[in-house]
Amino acid sequence: MARDPTRLLTHRLARWVDSRLGAAKLVRTALNKVFPDHWSFMIGELGLYCFIVLVLTGVYLTFFFDASQQEVTYNGSYAPLRGVEMTAAYRSALELSFDVRAGLVMRQIHHWAALLFLASIAVHLARVFFTGAFRRPREINWIVGCTLLILALLNGLFGYSLLDDQLSGTGLRIVYSITLSIPVVGTWLASLFFGGEFPGPDIIERLYVIHILLIPAAIAVLLAVHLAILVRHKHTHFPGPGRRDDNVVGERLWPTYAAKALGLFFLTSAVVAFLGGVFQINPIWIYGPFDPAEVSAASQPDWYMGWLDGALRIMPGWEIRAFGFEIPNPFFPGVLLAGITFLLLYAWPFLEARVTGDHAEHHVLDRPRQRPVRTALGTATISFYTVLFLGGAADVMAATFGLSVNAILWTFRILVLVLPPIVAWITYQLCKELAARDGVPIASRVTWREIPGRLRRRHAAAEAD
Amino acid sequence: MRIRLRPLLIAAPVLVTLAVTPLVAGGAPAQDGQDDDDLLAVGRELYLTGCASCHGETGEGVDGPDGDLRGPSLVEAGEAGAYYYLSTGRMPLANPEEQPIRKPPAYTPDAIDALVAYVASLGNGPELPDVDIGDADLANGGVIYRANCQACHSASGSGGALSYGRAAPGLADATPLQVGAAVRTGPGQMPVFGPDIITDEELDDLAAYVEYLKSPEDPGGVPIGRTGPIPEGFVAWLIGMTALLALVAWIGTRAPIRPRSAGRAPAGHE
Amino acid sequence: MSDAPRQVAGETVLTRRGVRVELASAASFVVAMLASIGLAVVYWQGGQPQAEGVLLALALGGIGVGIVLWAKHFMPNDEVVEEREPLESSEEDVAAFTADFAAGQSSLRSRRVLVATAGGACAALGVAVLFPIRSLGPRPGRGLKETPYRTAPIRVVTNEGEPLRPEDLPVDGFVTVWPEGHTDAADASTLLIHVRDSQDFQPAPGREDWTVDNIVAYSKLCTHVGCPVGLYQAELGLLLCPCHQSTFDVLEHARPIFGPAARSLPQLPLDTDEQGYIIATADFSGPVGPGFWDRDR
Repeated sequence: MARDPTRLLTHRLARWVDSRLGAAKLVRTALNKVFPDHWSFMIGELGLYCFIVLVLTGVYLTFFFDASQQEVTYNGSYAPLRGVEMTAAYRSALELSFDVRAGLVMRQIHHWAALLFLASIAVHLARVFFTGAFRRPREINWIVGCTLLILALLNGLFGYSLLDDQLSGTGLRIVYSITLSIPVVGTWLASLFFGGEFPGPDIIERLYVIHILLIPAAIAVLLAVHLAILVRHKHTHFPGPGRRDDNVVGERLWPTYAAKALGLFFLTSAVVAFLGGVFQINPIWIYGPFDPAEVSAASQPDWYMGWLDGALRIMPGWEIRAFGFEIPNPFFPGVLLAGITFLLLYAWPFLEARVTGDHAEHHVLDRPRQRPVRTALGTATISFYTVLFLGGAADVMAATFGLSVNAILWTFRILVLVLPPIVAWITYQLCKELAARDGVPIASRVTWREIPGRLRRRHAAAEAD
Repeated sequence: MRIRLRPLLIAAPVLVTLAVTPLVAGGAPAQDGQDDDDLLAVGRELYLTGCASCHGETGEGVDGPDGDLRGPSLVEAGEAGAYYYLSTGRMPLANPEEQPIRKPPAYTPDAIDALVAYVASLGNGPELPDVDIGDADLANGGVIYRANCQACHSASGSGGALSYGRAAPGLADATPLQVGAAVRTGPGQMPVFGPDIITDEELDDLAAYVEYLKSPEDPGGVPIGRTGPIPEGFVAWLIGMTALLALVAWIGTRAPIRPRSAGRAPAGHE
Repeated sequence: MSDAPRQVAGETVLTRRGVRVELASAASFVVAMLASIGLAVVYWQGGQPQAEGVLLALALGGIGVGIVLWAKHFMPNDEVVEEREPLESSEEDVAAFTADFAAGQSSLRSRRVLVATAGGACAALGVAVLFPIRSLGPRPGRGLKETPYRTAPIRVVTNEGEPLRPEDLPVDGFVTVWPEGHTDAADASTLLIHVRDSQDFQPAPGREDWTVDNIVAYSKLCTHVGCPVGLYQAELGLLLCPCHQSTFDVLEHARPIFGPAARSLPQLPLDTDEQGYIIATADFSGPVGPGFWDRDR
């Protein structure tokens, strides 16, 4: 074989680095790490790649965006807004869209990537939940993952609110009012966060710092932790020949798995780039600059906030008023429901372990049909939030299909209570039937009726100690 | 007593117009040269045939048998009201219970002119504004639109839901004159925006902006409705996530069990 | 993998399918190359978002497809097994750790006074450094309960600062106004509505003289979460908030009849001044906008 000069160069470079870091053993271990390569294990990666795209396009956008709320007059190339007064932030967004070459496509890629980032996290969450991958020893990673979800959600909300257009400004008004509704400390929290009464002179600048620095840094750190724990634990695998709780079966990282991961990164970026160029998103020039006395029909938040918006809409007009104090209506769907949602999400691994009494380590995944109760609770929860999502679109549905928006909202009020139990029951029956048909054993013996009994027994046992 | 209005409404104006055209044509050579009295006379004929059964012989309104309104009074309708309803085909209306929707007009433009003149003579409603979008200030139109109109008709002019099954219509088919007529007359649930609130000049700007909204600049690509996050969310899931999940299905293995490559040489590393 | 190159008589040979896959992979890379060049050209020529997006997608996608084909068909695809070691540290490791840690800790434990005072100092510092958060915003105060109308009597003006006479607002008329000189006050946006004679307007007790010529004034800020209540349904006399569909009855002091709002829109008492312009005679009947803890105090 002829001496390849490039090979000699990389060889020498590697030796140079190794003589300063001594990393050969570590890197070799890494190269030989085994990763099961089922397609459903790659969904989390989609989120990671969307995050990378977000950071890259985001950095580009920061070079052009001006987070100032100073009032200026627009004189750029979009004629229907020429001469209109607006904030410098909104104007810089218009300039990005119309006057910076490749600015609009970068902005759109960034926004589509954000929507897909959250969609990937949601699907990944569902996969982890339905296969029981959150069980010991992965509870910590589950907590890290839930935190990543919340951070991603907040960063998306704050990100599209930076542009100070009419639609996102309306959203900020709602954020302010929900903060205001918190008992005792609500007015203080709202005033400190916004710098005064709504809209406040500083909110865009503050959101900018949070959006480009604080939350992305937190996400980056938590992502690193998330991956490090994954590597430490090694990935889970589905049941199959040769697969046990004390081994992991799959492909080696080098070269195949790494190549596939790299390929997926490029393909994910390609999908996002395609969307960013071909489908218009967030046409802020149609919405106009934010004015606190104006609002458009069909105002909705981005999809991942839709459940919260829907909850606000279908909540009946109840408030608690006593002794001169009040807990206003938005608190219940906006703070309480959201709080309970995330609390249950965080607590799930511990709740399940408590009820099933299963504290063993698990590295072999469940098939959803093997866990009828968990799967049924999962689908019921998804149906609950889906009804809330649809509630957030009630006025658009009414306008599109020529229905009464009042009737739609009443329907959803009933559906949100009635549909989840029905979906749970159907799922439960389906799981048992599928498991019986395939001869797959039900992994857990817990049934609906047993749960309260088990919880009581665990509680009594704990008290007896 | 239920009259079968619909066939009558379609047939009557055609017949009347045919009968009346010689009268009109026999006058001035151009449309604008019609004698006012002739116009009113024609309008009155058309009105009595097509409108009086619901709106009364002198436009005073008619109550239905249950005391509900069968046809409101037209005294306040004026030129603007009559022009709006007739030119958008909302009137004649078969069922007074339903919200009138845009249809092809039942009358010819000449017949509409005559009816407009007659209905205006019944009371003191708003005049038809003289809308000219030629020199209009588009940006100012946008400012006025967003201040007064977008709450019902949405920022992109695609309309919106109102309470109890009613809706603010989309503006894609509205001509500038129809926009002006609607603004001045406040048809249906729409409020009235008088000349002290939106001046005639501002109305020109507003109509120009509504015209712009029919085909605005869409530099970002496929506009998917311009109504914002809901269609965007659909695209993200139905196109974006589907594509991504299809890709991972292609790249990863589908079954948990992958058959071992028995009897084949291990793939070369070099 | 059937496409894997095999060694035959010392030379690397691909299967027929392997040749096709290699061609496809190479073609993908070539497409990516051409798309990248195209992208650069488009940018240089002035840019065009759709072209930029599609070409970028082709460039990225071409590389991606090329790599994935390469990985799936030419890279080793064996199932490999790796043993999992117990996650917990071994007994010896834990014992050694405990011993080392305890040895160091004994010097901490034996100085209780120091531990206590050090802890106190850190806690105090921790609390103290939270104080600058107070600078982020003003004390909530009266601002939430008052608007610039508190300097009443004051004229109401349109967005352009023009005062209004009652005759300027026709029946079914609907306009947004502010207190004179405060058209940028976000909490003071007010709706003036001219109701019809035929509509049965019922003023709340004590508010019989709050209207002028059938013109009534309400705060525009929804009492749910503060969106402007921009939809007026003239025939039904209803105000509809587009955000969450709260509906208010204009004829009955804007009380909520549907939706999540729990309180009426505050009403503004109106009158006319000597020149005949509409004025507000006092601030709104209650704090405007969404509720908060001590709203009623």
